[in-house]
Amino acid sequence: MKVRARHFRVATQVLFLVTFVVLFLGLAVTRVPGDVASFLLAMDPLTSVGTALADWTIPAWTWVGLVVLAATAFLGRFFCGWICPLGTLQHAVSWIAGPERRKRPKINRYRRWFAVKYLVLAVLLVWAALGANHVGWLDPIPLLHRGVASGLRPLWFGGITPGGWVAFGLLAAVLLLSVWMPRFYCRGVCPLGALLGLVARLAPVRIRRTGHGDCTGCTLCVMACQGADEPLGEHRVSECHVCLNCLGSCAEDALVYAPPGSGAAMPLQPLDVGRRRFLVAAVAAAAVAPVLRATSGGQARDADAIRPPGALDEAAFLARCVTCGACAASCPTNVIGSDLGATGVEGLFTPVLDMRRGWCEPSCTRCTEVCPTRALVPVTAAAKQAIGGPAEVRIGTAFVDRGRCLPWAMAVPCIVCEEMCPTSPKAIWLEPAEVRTRDGRTIEVQQPFVDPELCTGCGLCENRCPVGEHAAIRVSSVGESRDPANRMLAT
Amino acid sequence: MRESGSDPYQPADPSRRELLARWGPATLAGAALAALGLALVGRPGRHRPPSAEVSAVAPDWRLGPAAPARMAIAGGRGPRDNVARAVAAVGGMAAFVKPGERVVIKPNCAWDRTPAQAANTDPEVVAELARLCFEAGASSVVVADNSVHDPERVFARSGIADAARAAGAGIAHPKNTGTVRLDLGGAVLGPWEVLRPLAEADKVINVPVVKHHSLGRGTLGMKNWFGAIVGPRGGLHQRLDQVCAELGVAFRPTLTVIDATRVLTTGGPTGGSLDLVRHDDLVAVATDPVAADAWGASLLGLGPAELPYLAMAESRRLGTVDWRSVATTV
Repeated sequence: MKVRARHFRVATQVLFLVTFVVLFLGLAVTRVPGDVASFLLAMDPLTSVGTALADWTIPAWTWVGLVVLAATAFLGRFFCGWICPLGTLQHAVSWIAGPERRKRPKINRYRRWFAVKYLVLAVLLVWAALGANHVGWLDPIPLLHRGVASGLRPLWFGGITPGGWVAFGLLAAVLLLSVWMPRFYCRGVCPLGALLGLVARLAPVRIRRTGHGDCTGCTLCVMACQGADEPLGEHRVSECHVCLNCLGSCAEDALVYAPPGSGAAMPLQPLDVGRRRFLVAAVAAAAVAPVLRATSGGQARDADAIRPPGALDEAAFLARCVTCGACAASCPTNVIGSDLGATGVEGLFTPVLDMRRGWCEPSCTRCTEVCPTRALVPVTAAAKQAIGGPAEVRIGTAFVDRGRCLPWAMAVPCIVCEEMCPTSPKAIWLEPAEVRTRDGRTIEVQQPFVDPELCTGCGLCENRCPVGEHAAIRVSSVGESRDPANRMLAT
Repeated sequence: MRESGSDPYQPADPSRRELLARWGPATLAGAALAALGLALVGRPGRHRPPSAEVSAVAPDWRLGPAAPARMAIAGGRGPRDNVARAVAAVGGMAAFVKPGERVVIKPNCAWDRTPAQAANTDPEVVAELARLCFEAGASSVVVADNSVHDPERVFARSGIADAARAAGAGIAHPKNTGTVRLDLGGAVLGPWEVLRPLAEADKVINVPVVKHHSLGRGTLGMKNWFGAIVGPRGGLHQRLDQVCAELGVAFRPTLTVIDATRVLTTGGPTGGSLDLVRHDDLVAVATDPVAADAWGASLLGLGPAELPYLAMAESRRLGTVDWRSVATTV
């Protein structure tokens, strides 16, 4: 078998797919440096561009995404064809279950509606520029990452959330659409593909006709084409995934992937989306942005929006969070879930803590280490712990629900919340009280109180409260250190 | 049989084969449905609450109820030496662990705290016990607990994981080991999930640390068995004394080793601040779990009157609260 460029591509795709799996598993292994575990997320160009537009910063390792973008200006969309694990998975789906060979020439033709992805990109970038960074909703790397983190991972660790169902549903839909049309998502929807496609128009290295081979119009190249970029007709460099299938499939060696001089370039095709459409999309996005923002990202604060430790204040957090789910996958107690509804439209898929699933382990800082965009900034274990005084980093405050608490409402002794409280001195303290039981006996119970200065909001009390589903002590976001305005105490 | 005619209104009698072909499939389908119905109608269903009838109970790991109670208290020379001397004073580990036996050590390894914070059993006490067990010929030693915080983190931070590994012992917690459903046989404690190594152990050493506790006032050996069971433990605190006594009946250890190297005098069972810790440098080894707890309680200034479960345990013939009658100081 002759070794062709295609074989290198497949090997690279498999390598990056394996890398994705290994790094994903590495998120939960504290020995693996956090920035290594989230490296695939950091090298995603759309994550870099979205964060840069929304928060005017290139946090941590996300500059690598700009290197990928720059390389695209020379080599075309190699990221789509060689690296993107979601592309690889779609590729695999269509390889196993995609359309049969005789239908491929037709299904692999370019269609005008593929230009929709450029409008998707325009909307997302306008939103990002206005501070609402939602590129992660459709950016393939966070989309895949989130689908696995909050959709698949709960199969083993439990605790799927409504946000997790939607995240998984989106991933499943993307993959299943490749049964009908190979790489449907890459071709028609993907905003990262659109960004790379725009830059790829500059690429000197691209598919060219050699001139010495004679094209017979056999359509073998079209059958093998991943991007539906018309290698047979007027080649579209902005759609081409650089999969290089066309080169190997051509019996006449009529095509090359080469810099200028090695063959005749095909004329640059216009994008099938005019300036008017772009303008309409941009204006519409700008008009919608304030409506998205009129939720938790504005002044309203939500009791259920308990963010992981180290989270920036809500507006900055939302400008940075690409909803990749890395924090959720790194959490040893599985307390972090993917939100749907609790934190508004803007907060779709963002991480929120549900203390019935887990609790924020006092000495653990893993989620802050793996966040690729530093929506969670690294904190120290000591800053979270309130040993010998109030903690620097607090995620909320626990409140006793006296209508449900056993010693307060039922004349039943219980001290579990106080026993569990990990701060020192304990933020939860007990006051002895004499209560009358129904049959007239007087018994002594100990009733819990919370010291809001010492409480870190870790939620271990809520997690272990014997009052089942809706605990008698619950954490809400007030008192969180990230937002000085979301407080109840004057000090 | 009549001649077969061509008149559709006077059909010929079908042949036997035709009859079978006509009626057979429907009959078979009907029979299958009937069989399915007969098999399933009125059954309790696949998804049932776990059976309340569990026959297995935790084995009795004591040497034998007839053996005289022995207890020794050692102090002043550091945890390893204290353990070694106290064990020697009650007859040596070889008197309790026979060659080839599987031993489980049950420390208090519940909290994400360092040894200095005294919320967990001292790692050196655990290490020395493991060493003595291997010296006596134990085939395996497993250090097991159902931690409150994330167990991997707790075993690491408490120093117990390293200490156990250095001694050649394994560690077991709900993240790396399974559970077995045992009948704990109490009025409050019925069938519970129990850490699997305990159910399979030949000998068990219970190693609590002496700590203050806001409900029980002190937490010692019998409360330490909370770490043997897996499930919604929070509700058990409503009848803590009863539950402690029932745990004492369900889990009958070969030895109880009370770690008072450091004593958490208040702010327990979690502690945190080093100001809460008193350095006693004491260890007690006892075959009598009630005497052991009574001694530990005395370090917190608590008598049997303040810890009602001790009297309950005594009335269940688990031992004596009068630890002075059995203890020797070495």
